Amino acid sequence: MKLDLVADVLDEQLVDSKGRQAGRIDGIVLELRDGRPPRVGYVEVSPITLLSRFNRRFAHWYARHDRKLGEGRGVPTRIPWTRLRREGPSFAMDIDAESTPIFALEDWLRRHIVERIPGG
Amino acid sequence: MKKIFEVALGIVTSVGGFLEIGSIATAAQAGASFGFQLGWSVVLGTVCIAFLVEMSGRFSAVSKHTIPDAMRERFGVNLFALPLLVMLAVSLLVLAAEIGGVAVAIEMATGISFPIWALPVALLAWVLLWKTTFSFIENGISLLGLVTLAFAVGVAKLHPSYVAIVRGFVPTLPHHDKAHYWFIAVSVLGASISPYLYYFYSSGAIEEKWDESYVGINRAIAAIGMGFGGFLSVAVLVLAAMLFHPRGISVDHYQQLPELLSGVFHRTGFWLVIASLAIACIGATLEIALSLAYLVAQGFGWNWGEDLEPKDDARFALTYTILIFAASLFSLIGVDPLKLTEISMSLTAASLPLGTFPFLILMNDREYLGEHTNGHLGNAVVLVISALSAVLAVVSIPLELVGGG
Repeated sequence: MKLDLVADVLDEQLVDSKGRQAGRIDGIVLELRDGRPPRVGYVEVSPITLLSRFNRRFAHWYARHDRKLGEGRGVPTRIPWTRLRREGPSFAMDIDAESTPIFALEDWLRRHIVERIPGG
Repeated sequence: MKKIFEVALGIVTSVGGFLEIGSIATAAQAGASFGFQLGWSVVLGTVCIAFLVEMSGRFSAVSKHTIPDAMRERFGVNLFALPLLVMLAVSLLVLAAEIGGVAVAIEMATGISFPIWALPVALLAWVLLWKTTFSFIENGISLLGLVTLAFAVGVAKLHPSYVAIVRGFVPTLPHHDKAHYWFIAVSVLGASISPYLYYFYSSGAIEEKWDESYVGINRAIAAIGMGFGGFLSVAVLVLAAMLFHPRGISVDHYQQLPELLSGVFHRTGFWLVIASLAIACIGATLEIALSLAYLVAQGFGWNWGEDLEPKDDARFALTYTILIFAASLFSLIGVDPLKLTEISMSLTAASLPLGTFPFLILMNDREYLGEHTNGHLGNAVVLVISALSAVLAVVSIPLELVGGG
């Protein structure tokens, strides 16, 4: 099956191993190899990647603030291409999104705001 | 049998959910200022939204994608960002107008002025979204919305000349107040063709797990539901045309709206208008807030769903929370809800093509719809009416602002 990186992969929905919607494929990273054609290495899921598609300066600014939030932050989350497969209208990864920073904002908002609201 | 029930329910919810602050206020202004002459704008708007709703239901049933989802996927984030930002800005104003509508209804019922009610109304809307499910909102509130049928009963009791009403369905040039005529026409179009309505419908089709077998049902719901909804807008226009127009009264305040029915039903009519306004506007508040949260969540690939607990979609739930309370600030500081309605409806009309044109491209994409892509008629209707609305809006909004005519 033919897969066009921009038309069929970029901006597609990503679903994690537990079936949760885990963001969209914000960027595609190619690996350059000596003497051989480049190949797809990773996809990136991150506001940093998304912002850099509009303006690199926004992206740097966001990354600088994100870095303060903890270890492993401040750089886009990368999912190896080999962990993905096409599934219906989305791409499924065989990784639990909780083990990546993809849900960092979601988790923070849940713990600090939603769970403190009565009935949340 | 189950599907017949679903069609009936779908129609009832579309009818109950059709009228909101925009369609009530703009139809009343149209009738008051120009008699039956602007009936065509309600008809054009209704035809366009019926086509759009049919398309969005078909799109989601066949492709399993919502519209924002597919827009981002097909056009990329850079092109998606423009309609997203414009729609958020314009719909926030519409949301503010709806919250103002509920607050004004409570003002008329209690005599306590509307800014006081802004936050309680926002809180009520928020609690309903936070605590309940999609079907509760869609079915419960829309069933209550059937109180708006009172406008149709009111018309029947006045025994209007139905020939004269139908004559208004043919567009004609204005005899007086030219700029105002086109501005009201644009507001009516913007009020009928609400983008949030078809975005909401597309998310609903996904939440209710529609598949290709729903294409026929969807068509019936869209045509009959929107048709009856437009019929109610016409009823408001006719009431205003018969009660206000001959006396030279223009609709400048919401406080005038109860007169639409109090002449026919007396004291009950007063309460019917207030109930209609309150219920229609709270229903629209919920739909718009949800629809915008869907738009953002789907565009960024977050978990979303009105049937999930807020803790399972924290970003989605907090998005509608912020929108509702932000929109309530307009009424809180005393911005006139009628002015807000006029502005937001005409801006909706001006920005229509930003949403409908990309959507039409999707509707003609075989990768999403296979054999269910649009026919020529659907394409032409939506293309022409949304382009016409935008052009009229861009021309008439500045003229209205400088008070020309």
